[in-house]
Amino acid sequence: MKGYHDIVGDGGSRILEQVAEQRGRITDGLAGVRHLLAVGSGKGGVGKSTLTLHLAGALRARGLRIAILDADFNGPSQARMAGVQGAPFVPGRHKVLLPRTGNGIAVFSMGSLIPESEALEFESAAHGESHTWRATREFALLGEILGSVEWGAIDLLMFDLPPGAERTVQYADFLGPRMSFVLVTIPSDVARGVVARSVAALSKGPNRLLGYVENMSGYYCRDCNAVKPLFVPSEPAALGIPCLGTVPFDPELARQCDLGNPLTELRETPVGRAFDEIAQRLLDCLDAKTAVRLSSS
Amino acid sequence: MKFLCVPCDTAMKLQTVAPPDRGSLAIVYACPECGYEMAMLTNAYETQAVQSLGVRIGPESDTKTADASACPFAEMIPAIEDAAVAGETAVRWTAAAEARLANIPAFVRPMARTGIERFARENGALEIDEKILDAAREFFGM
Repeated sequence: MKGYHDIVGDGGSRILEQVAEQRGRITDGLAGVRHLLAVGSGKGGVGKSTLTLHLAGALRARGLRIAILDADFNGPSQARMAGVQGAPFVPGRHKVLLPRTGNGIAVFSMGSLIPESEALEFESAAHGESHTWRATREFALLGEILGSVEWGAIDLLMFDLPPGAERTVQYADFLGPRMSFVLVTIPSDVARGVVARSVAALSKGPNRLLGYVENMSGYYCRDCNAVKPLFVPSEPAALGIPCLGTVPFDPELARQCDLGNPLTELRETPVGRAFDEIAQRLLDCLDAKTAVRLSSS
Repeated sequence: MKFLCVPCDTAMKLQTVAPPDRGSLAIVYACPECGYEMAMLTNAYETQAVQSLGVRIGPESDTKTADASACPFAEMIPAIEDAAVAGETAVRWTAAAEARLANIPAFVRPMARTGIERFARENGALEIDEKILDAAREFFGM
């Protein structure tokens, strides 16, 4: 009797072929993108989205062509922070064109499509029970977005990842070895512990882990123009990857993000300088062939 | 998943897929040798597991031409659209502009349509053609 591998095709639906075609559309769509960079953590609330947007701004100021994909479909924030919430998606000749920030960064965020009063929902034959299928559906949506947006010829596509160490690894699996990672932590043992899990998980795959950024490394007081401690100093456990820099917390930055005014008058502040320095290190890492590849070390 | 007609030792071919019934699909396969037919009846979890891959289930000719980009949150988008156009003059789309709209994923279309119509109205146009789409692209710096 014939076995599974003796039979060509599945007799109708071509499920495997359809999945392969989806992957092909993603590969084709990203052909003009020089670097794929995911900003993740594992931990929520550490400032991944803020860092993504402002590092993109600092890199854009260096002349790079950049797009951001807000991959946090369930808690999207880039549309609001980047100030593109009301800007439409325009049908191009074959694919969809993305709204851009004032400084020319293309942004895809579910926040542009779904009002903040609504949660992302999918139609389901399973009537709930979303734990059995939801992650698969979200990755199919990600594939659809990647394959249907006109990314064009750009230097960098940055992915603002959702929280969860397991999600971080799923993005690595889905997008393959082209994707490099930067992880974000804050000066708290709890956060570093979660990030350490992401490092451990990513180290089992082929993706480049460029390093980590410590966000909220202090509090920038505009009245005295000084950075003060925000967390009680401790002896943090080493993450085993390079530190690309530290960024102090600036309430004005948070306010501007809420208003959708990224990178306004920041360059001459400690926060702005931190973004600028980290952006340069990132650029050096992305172009270097010696960047950390934990799985081969 | 593949189906084998054991007496003929021949791979069966998908014939029809009935519309979903309470989450279940009835997928009929037939043996090209002896004509024996059987139906695979999925439970809701099985149906959803396959649909979550973003693929279509059906005979080969259907899946090659199907639009796989069904809007996953269609129920939410019309609320935005309706609010945006309420009380405003209808805007007509030319066939060429509609064709460009049809090229983009279903889940983006309602938002794109609403945004372009708003842009057209703000610019005194009641018909959206490719020139308006290109003007919107320029205006929004795309």
